[in-house]
Amino acid sequence: MKKKLILLLALVLTVVTGFTALSSTTANAATDNSLTKVEKKGTLVMGTSPDYPPYEFQATVHGKSKIVGMDVAVGKKIAKDMGVKLVVKSMSFDSLLVALQTGKVDMVISGMNPTPARKKNVDFTHTYYQGGYSIVINKSDKGIYKDKDSFVGKTIGAQTGSTMYNESKKQTSGTTVKGMTSVSDLILALQSHKIQGVAMEKPSAQAYVANNKELAAIPSKFDLSASDTSASVAFAKGSDALVAKANKSVDQIKNQNLVNKDYLPAAGKYLKTNTVNTSMLHYWKAFLTGIEYTLIITVCSVFFGFIMGVILALARMGQGGVVRTGLRWLATAYVEFIRGTPMMVQVMFVYFGLGLIVNLPALTSGIIAISLNSGAYVAEYIRGGINSVDDGQTEAARSLGMSSGATMRFVVLPQALKNIWPSLGNEFITLIKDSSIVSIIGVSELIFQSNIVRSDTYRGVAPIAVIMVLYFVLTFTASRILNYFERRMQHD
Amino acid sequence: MTKPIIEVKNLAKSFGKNDVLKDITEQVNPGQVIVVIGPSGGGKSTFLRCLNLLETPNSGEVDFDGQNLTTLDTKKVNELREQMGMVFQGFNLFPNMTVLENIKLAPMKVKGMDDAAATKRAHELLDQVNLDDHADAFPSNLSGGQAQRVAIARALAMDPKVMLFDEPTSALDPEMVGEVLNVMQELANQGMTMVVVTHEMGFAKSVADRVWFMADGYIQENNTPDEFFSNPQTDRAKDFLSKILM
Repeated sequence: MKKKLILLLALVLTVVTGFTALSSTTANAATDNSLTKVEKKGTLVMGTSPDYPPYEFQATVHGKSKIVGMDVAVGKKIAKDMGVKLVVKSMSFDSLLVALQTGKVDMVISGMNPTPARKKNVDFTHTYYQGGYSIVINKSDKGIYKDKDSFVGKTIGAQTGSTMYNESKKQTSGTTVKGMTSVSDLILALQSHKIQGVAMEKPSAQAYVANNKELAAIPSKFDLSASDTSASVAFAKGSDALVAKANKSVDQIKNQNLVNKDYLPAAGKYLKTNTVNTSMLHYWKAFLTGIEYTLIITVCSVFFGFIMGVILALARMGQGGVVRTGLRWLATAYVEFIRGTPMMVQVMFVYFGLGLIVNLPALTSGIIAISLNSGAYVAEYIRGGINSVDDGQTEAARSLGMSSGATMRFVVLPQALKNIWPSLGNEFITLIKDSSIVSIIGVSELIFQSNIVRSDTYRGVAPIAVIMVLYFVLTFTASRILNYFERRMQHD
Repeated sequence: MTKPIIEVKNLAKSFGKNDVLKDITEQVNPGQVIVVIGPSGGGKSTFLRCLNLLETPNSGEVDFDGQNLTTLDTKKVNELREQMGMVFQGFNLFPNMTVLENIKLAPMKVKGMDDAAATKRAHELLDQVNLDDHADAFPSNLSGGQAQRVAIARALAMDPKVMLFDEPTSALDPEMVGEVLNVMQELANQGMTMVVVTHEMGFAKSVADRVWFMADGYIQENNTPDEFFSNPQTDRAKDFLSKILM
């Protein structure tokens, strides 16, 4: 048994190291044909985390949700100067640099400070904007807090992975610093008094205060170097040609003061139009898109996961022969490994990891990852289901001259399926909910859409309530449909 | 002299350390009805299951129609199994299919028969076992006797040359035994070659051509029913017969 265990572990490790080895070689292969590559494909893909007005945020333009803000304007200018089209890709702030390193995006503009740590991994252009930090507080607390030092015994929030987060930790004492992925979540936490302040860049703070009468901004008084408060464009390490070209655009932006003159006022306009109608009904299209993608992901993943599950289950039940034993070990290792790692990690691994070999869109990556995950679970259900079918059934079929394959397909599997139907139904319902994990790689399913609506409307709770109801409607409908089929399969 | 359809040579089978069959050599001629009787645990069912390779013998051979099954590949074994229908103690009908579908499945999937032909044949067979009015019922709605008759019809649908019966009436309520035995008797009358493992001594007496008495992993006696029941040769058989009500 112990020997088996070691074998299993070794197998898993080989698979994982194989992948990592593969990924490191491809990453190194990036030489400096960066500019020609971008020019050749005719698009410049910009990665950004659109919850940081006025840098970048979602706005409804002509009834459609769109990413706007001063950073998008900067990106447009760079792309225009290169003579290519700008494509904006949205993802969480944490994922931006990984996406850049793995070639998912060509550049990152997301109010990002060119810190020394970041410079080790990516290349930055000159600074296009010099900002500063503010702390957003509830207006009712205005008398209590003056700057970063008034939060002793209290909690300050900041975006995870941001400079503000690190500086808040470093430069306060006796203050808890809470990290969250999105600024809209932080504002929500602030308004529900989970935290007492949110550290963010000055322009963003002003935007939030302008749009929400409950909030106020105070100066942060952080001791900061210029690089900590400046925003630069990030490119993949070693893409000197791209950086040089972009620097020309950035220098122009700086010299002509385009950010303050044009980009910020333009972004401000979007912020104003944004707040006209914040009713959830107004955003039905956004939610509908969310439902659509949630269903696409779930249905595809259930389909492919089921096929994988059948194959894995059969492989796990194979007996005798070197090939069958090998397959059995492989299937067992796979199932154990997938069940032993979080789905979130798997999603990121498929998107960023496999993305090094083949450039998969986020939706495809999400479906692949969830199918792979679901397959492992379904395999175990199916194995149990097959075992639950009486041996006499197989014997009867074999005695009629049916091959083992035909017996499995026509006699055993249909009965196994009936036995495990409730478990499979459960898996389907779970997937509807768990598909929300792909929001981290920017697939516009329900959670992702609700985040957009939240940063769009500056309303924290309402979109959450809406998707809660929507998820329930989806899962409840699904379980009714599954029950219907379960009843139809009952003959005894 | 006719060529035997089944020839068993030095057949042995053990499960772990338990030797269930120890050196069996017998043959079945076409048209013969063989009834295998003997005490429980004597290896009767294992012997029958070795004939169509549901159990793989440890040594010896099973020749069917001149071909040694134990040396053939899986595909060939599947083909020969078609020609040996088997009826089980527990019926083993497919619970998720109707009676008709149970019978049609193998002819359609194995022989590639089309639906219309398979349906027609299934109805004929159901008629033969007096169950045509139950064609659309599910197995769970049948009595034991009915289910076993459907199982017989299902085995017959492959047009087998031999029928193997593994204690076909042991799981039935007493009042249902007759209807199944009647069907089997009719089948025997039509000239079907049959190997029947059973405890129904009446059936052995009236239908069997030969009775094989099996105990302790050997066929202890091979005789006509008249001879066997009136004048058993071995002590083992005498002992067995003395313990059952006749």
